[in-house]
Amino acid sequence: MSEISCDEVLHEIEHYLHGELGQQQSSRLATHLEGCGPCFERAEFQRKLKEIVRDKCRCETPEHVVLRIQQAIRLEGEFE
Amino acid sequence: MPSRCDVEPEAKRAKTELTERFERDALPLLPGMYSAAFRLTRNASDAEDLLQETFLRAYRGFHQFQEGTNLKAWLYRILTNTFINSYRKKQREPLTISDDEVEDWYLYSKMREEGLEPSAEATVLESLPDEDVQEALSSLPEQFRVAVLLADVEGFSYKEIAEITAVPIGTVMSRLHRGRKALERRLWDVVRERGLVRD
Repeated sequence: MSEISCDEVLHEIEHYLHGELGQQQSSRLATHLEGCGPCFERAEFQRKLKEIVRDKCRCETPEHVVLRIQQAIRLEGEFE
Repeated sequence: MPSRCDVEPEAKRAKTELTERFERDALPLLPGMYSAAFRLTRNASDAEDLLQETFLRAYRGFHQFQEGTNLKAWLYRILTNTFINSYRKKQREPLTISDDEVEDWYLYSKMREEGLEPSAEATVLESLPDEDVQEALSSLPEQFRVAVLLADVEGFSYKEIAEITAVPIGTVMSRLHRGRKALERRLWDVVRERGLVRD
């Protein structure tokens, strides 16, 4: 498996973190990250950032909204 | 003697079967779709209306949905389209100035310039109030906001986002890249406003 440069790793990191690279390219990046401190640090930063954005922006539909919509659908079904 | 209502038992049975399938397959996805509706409309009352309209449209069109294909992506497509057609007009588009001038690794570099250690960086970001991060995402120009929301909050793949938003996958990747950078810039503004780093 051929070597990969830091530039290429950093260029592809967002696709890597989103699981969008093919298996071969993905393991090339993984191998590079294991051995390269600076790239690993940046990759970790992006990974955590992505996680924080997800966790802080997710919220469940409030129960009363779920019930309201269920009821609306039931009515729609009956009177169609 | 059968009552009038029973003249079309076949059609009625099909209808019941469709409703049952909708309740079994589509409704369980409802609890997870609030954040997307909220991030798009930016307020609770419009988010509720948007969700209700999305599910009513989905129910009415459910006979067109091909069983075995991606139901979640189908629902998000209806959500996105409904938002664009019904709610967007009410809103002013957030400013887009200089979103394309944000360099790669913006947030990482800014934090580095502040002399923060790698372990401290995540702590600073984690300490941001949820509302600030939500507002940062909501303030992105619409195409960026939708792409980042679908990828990084909802966890859809590039291919799924291409299907949901009906654009080529290359466009999805470009919107995501630019949207993520624009988000980093806004997050950095919040970090500074909150006084979490020295100015």
